[in-house]
Amino acid sequence: MNAQPFRLPSGGLVDRTQTLSFRFDGKTYDGHPGDTLASALLANGVRLLGRSFKYHRPRGVLSVGSEEPNALVELRTGARREPNTRATIIELFEGLEATSQNRWPSLGCDFLSVDRLAGSALVAGFYYKTFMWPAAFWEKLYEPVIRRAAGLGRAARFADPDHYEKAFAFCDVLVIGAGPAGLSAALTAGRSGARVILCDEDFRLGGRLLAERREIDGRPAADWVAATLAELAALSEVRTMLRTSVFGLYDHGIFGAVERVNDHVAVPPAHQPRQRGWRIYTKRAILASGALERPIVFPGNDRPGVMLAGAVRAYVNRFGVLPGREIVVFTTGDNGWATVCDLVAAGVRLSAIVDSRSEIDPTFKALAERAGARVFAGGAVEATQGGHHVRGVVVRDSSGKHTTLSCDLLAVSNGWNPTLHLTSHQNGRPIWNEDVQAFVPGTLPPGLAVGGSAAGRFTLAQALEDGARLGREAAVEIGFRPTHIEPIPTTDAETNRVKPIWRVRGGRGKAFVDFQNDVTEKDVELAAREGFRSVEHLKRYTTLGMATDQGKTSNIAGLAIMAEQTGRAISDTGTTVFRPPFTPVAIGALAGHHRGKDFRPVRLAPTHDWSREQGAVFVETGQWLRAQYYPKPGEQDWLTTVTREVLAVRTGVGLCDVSTLGKIDIQGRDTAEFLERVYINGWKALPVGKARYGLMLREDGFVMDDGTTSRLRENHFLMTTTTANAGKVMQHLEFCHQVLWPKLDVRMVSVSEQWAQAAIAGPKSREVLRDILDAVHDISNEAFPYLAAREVTVNGGIPARLFRISFSGELAYELAVPADYGEAMMRALMAAGSPHGITPYGTEALGVMRLEKGHVAGNELNGQTTARDLGLGKMMSSKKDFIGRLMARREALLQSDRPTLVGLRPINNAERLRAGAHFISMGRTANTDNDEGYMTSVAYSPSLGHWIGLGLLKNGPRRVGERIRAVDPVRNSEIHVEICSPIFVDREGTRLHG
Amino acid sequence: MAEQATSSWCRRDAWAAIIQVGQIGAAGEPGVKVQLPANLQLATLIATTGSTGLERITKQLVGLDLPRSASIALSATHGLAWSGPGQWMLLARQRAGFSELTSLLSDEAAVSDQGDARAALCVSGRRAREVLAKGAMIDLHGKAFPVGATALTSFAHVGVQLWRIKDGPDGPAFEILVSRSMAASFWSWFAASAAEFGCNVARPG
Amino acid sequence: MRIPCPHCGARDVQEFTYLGDAKPRRPEGLDATEAAMLEYVYVRDNPRGPNDELWYHAAGCRAWLMVRRHTLTHVIESAVPTKSAKAGVAA
Ligand SMILES: [Zn+2]
Repeated sequence: MNAQPFRLPSGGLVDRTQTLSFRFDGKTYDGHPGDTLASALLANGVRLLGRSFKYHRPRGVLSVGSEEPNALVELRTGARREPNTRATIIELFEGLEATSQNRWPSLGCDFLSVDRLAGSALVAGFYYKTFMWPAAFWEKLYEPVIRRAAGLGRAARFADPDHYEKAFAFCDVLVIGAGPAGLSAALTAGRSGARVILCDEDFRLGGRLLAERREIDGRPAADWVAATLAELAALSEVRTMLRTSVFGLYDHGIFGAVERVNDHVAVPPAHQPRQRGWRIYTKRAILASGALERPIVFPGNDRPGVMLAGAVRAYVNRFGVLPGREIVVFTTGDNGWATVCDLVAAGVRLSAIVDSRSEIDPTFKALAERAGARVFAGGAVEATQGGHHVRGVVVRDSSGKHTTLSCDLLAVSNGWNPTLHLTSHQNGRPIWNEDVQAFVPGTLPPGLAVGGSAAGRFTLAQALEDGARLGREAAVEIGFRPTHIEPIPTTDAETNRVKPIWRVRGGRGKAFVDFQNDVTEKDVELAAREGFRSVEHLKRYTTLGMATDQGKTSNIAGLAIMAEQTGRAISDTGTTVFRPPFTPVAIGALAGHHRGKDFRPVRLAPTHDWSREQGAVFVETGQWLRAQYYPKPGEQDWLTTVTREVLAVRTGVGLCDVSTLGKIDIQGRDTAEFLERVYINGWKALPVGKARYGLMLREDGFVMDDGTTSRLRENHFLMTTTTANAGKVMQHLEFCHQVLWPKLDVRMVSVSEQWAQAAIAGPKSREVLRDILDAVHDISNEAFPYLAAREVTVNGGIPARLFRISFSGELAYELAVPADYGEAMMRALMAAGSPHGITPYGTEALGVMRLEKGHVAGNELNGQTTARDLGLGKMMSSKKDFIGRLMARREALLQSDRPTLVGLRPINNAERLRAGAHFISMGRTANTDNDEGYMTSVAYSPSLGHWIGLGLLKNGPRRVGERIRAVDPVRNSEIHVEICSPIFVDREGTRLHG
Repeated sequence: MAEQATSSWCRRDAWAAIIQVGQIGAAGEPGVKVQLPANLQLATLIATTGSTGLERITKQLVGLDLPRSASIALSATHGLAWSGPGQWMLLARQRAGFSELTSLLSDEAAVSDQGDARAALCVSGRRAREVLAKGAMIDLHGKAFPVGATALTSFAHVGVQLWRIKDGPDGPAFEILVSRSMAASFWSWFAASAAEFGCNVARPG
Repeated sequence: MRIPCPHCGARDVQEFTYLGDAKPRRPEGLDATEAAMLEYVYVRDNPRGPNDELWYHAAGCRAWLMVRRHTLTHVIESAVPTKSAKAGVAA
């Protein structure tokens, strides 16, 4: 038994010395290295590869490349299962497993084949018209049914186990496509010394030359390809990228590409990515992407066994596979005859050649004779016969007589469309060229040139000539001097006349325009009748040109029929604009390494490992991971832990990492003046060795950030920002300096990363610090009062900075040491504090204590509050100009009923407050009209034994003592609260100054 | 009593617990080598606008010319890397004398210590460029980024400053300063990117 | 897009953050009027064509640049430091 009955006895670029075993729909087949899944299946006589999207019609292989609309399969199994992969570009590997999609229960017997059931109902605009009403039917009835019937394969149900990468490349000249034009462009540019990247989506270089029997310089084209590749390999500045699809062209010569590094093996080798997404920065680019052959629209044109004539040549010449034994060619131009020629050369006889043109070249007639084929000049195929693949065709000859011919392969050719998609990515509109009967590139984006078939210059001679010329021009434009100019290689003769027909009229049955979306000529007619004239609307109404192939084989026929229906020329109808990506791109290739825990960089404090050792639970704050709380064994929930931490600070001493705060070193003669302008409060009078709380507005008058800033020396300040806003504040300060006031002598740099900083808070904090600081530093209340800020030393001379500032309202300090000492500092503080029961605390306890003291934080600094809203209006100096001054004084922002900061406590102490709850006056309906503000932050106060909250309430401060409803429609709760001062603990601040 | 230096106050650099010495990824001759420099000292210098004093004093103190464009001046012991307009990163290969040096410079420049703010590594080897190309949006080709060139940029969304030092025996060599807090994320990306070529990690001294 | 930073060379736009039109000048000082400030903060043209814009080289040299960019084609004519261009500086 012949394992591969349709494999020719010799020829092709497959390695017949090796056999690869693979499975399709559970059956095992053999193929060879160099095969695609499509060529291997065809070699085994498998023609039915899938069912169509809408009608579940049988579909086989149409093409030989990435434009394939039909032969979509699910590749691999389990977590690596990938739907909608094109059998025509899947490289065969040992153990490959693929299944057909869109069929139930099996490919051969599909119960959902709506063709048999209700096919005529699924016309253009079907979804829009049928499922309009009632809305509820959509979710419950229509969608589940349609989802079952339609669809394009199933996604894997598990996370992708493979690694993906991103990479960046730079070159002088990018050449897209390694066919004759691309190879000669890369060669001439490379010879001049330019850095060249040559990309091709195929796994072998040569483009159409791999598929054709052509001669260059009197020898087989393969020899020229081999010689060219050898020379390119020897040029050190030329890089060749196989299996790499350039999918997008972006501004300023940037291209997106995806390299299928290990799609051609079952599982990527260890340490290697599956795919790599490239961003390629170029000075010049040459598009040499070739052309895509057009099918013909006639009834039954979607039956397996109807194949593009150029694809037939490729299967014969490149893969050594004969896609059929009884062959009819249906062509509207010379290209169909090239297939006849190659089939004859391969020793294959043909049944018939149907050429829609009435005049046939004598050489073609002679060729037909040699092939033993009948010729139908001025004829057309009006129907195909057969079930799952073609068994025969009905030909109408020039006199109108019908003949039925038996055949198992119908090769069709209707001319070629330049693969010009990338020229459109920057809004370029393709232009209809009457001479070549195709759209050709219109205005090109800067730096891009197009040559060969991609430019509508379809002969091999033109491709070689364009490539050489464009390669040289690109190199010269960017300053390279070609040393010598090699003559352009000569080629054998060819003709490429074509007189396309956009559909065959007169037959019966469905004639498909778009195979992938099951759009027929009737759908296009219907759209035209219903008033659609623009091709963009046609696309959206009929789905023509959507999905994975983006209409690469269908757009032109669709718009030609539209043109005919609306009485316009094709040039007046225009084409849809192509957008990236040219080919489907896995999200993994765009994300690269950045998925899961590597989704974005995480910032860790220098004390992070210490905190982890202490059992911390971490929380994301901006990019940072901060210790949220430190649970001890036996603690049931976070509230128990946080309560313990807060009480430890309030009664003894606690330790908290604050390294994540933004720290900006600001020096220069005008620093104080600069601070005056960026903060709302005054800075000139701040003495050296003191810190001050500062509030910054945006120019629109709303609060941007807050923090303490210390004057270390006369002209040296250290600003701190909130953790989340550090980058934004730095950018703002640079703006103020560089754009607004460049004359000020201000020099700033972020030192956030240089210092590890810890808050030591609680009545015992001074005692702990005394143990840590070198003895020369007096930190008594007199020598180092509240808001003192000084450079000190620890452990016998390690430079450190000490600040007496407090977020908790207790006696507290912040100690900063160089980050390398961060962990040592924590250990030393823990050791020194152990007699006092020192307790590490996290951001949660910090949040509770700041709330107890009425300090605003992120929830209140939400970009919608003014200083006045936060009760900090008095800080605004009237003696100076500062950012945001005027806009903060706008009338609406001064209205007394603006929501303003208040404290809130439950009337029933047992009740829990909820952040986000809205305030409604007693007796009023809870709706937006009666909304008076909302709860911004809540916490359980261990000091008071009940929940407390901060909120923004209309007329807030004047309503202290009033009771109000706090309604939380999200959690469906409501409690009554009393409005109070936002300072809940130690209102006089005695502890702070103690 | 706190005057006495205790052994518990030891430095712990940014790579601690992140990088292990040895081979990562593919076995065999490593395509990439990573060295973690010990004792690298760093400080940002920002010149007073319009003043030439810094140029004079750096020449006098470390014998290096202040680079006026994106390059680094290097000696066996020190370096001055352009680090933005009017800004430089001063580096020293040993700790001793660095604070004295920076205090001498502070008359002519705003000086801010950054030695603890960066995680430094030296990447070299045959495949070094290929690894960096998986995160660098700048061109590190020999002609575009010659020995002595420096750049402030980001690798895989992590802010870095890098410069190219003299080629090693097996290819180009780059010194890279990474924001300390992002060292772990940087290394996660770097290790994954270098794995296919095999990477040897060493920490001298 | 790539922006030709005068300090760093051409860099991917990802390294930059965009602020907007570079033309408005901040009304400085205590005498500035609310109306002038309102104009400065909120009122912008929406030109089609070359436009001077402020960009910040956040992941690079941290310079604020004035970039002349065509709003339709994205063609960039020039990029200069605001410090030398005096963009935004009060007269
Ligand atoms: Zn820059």
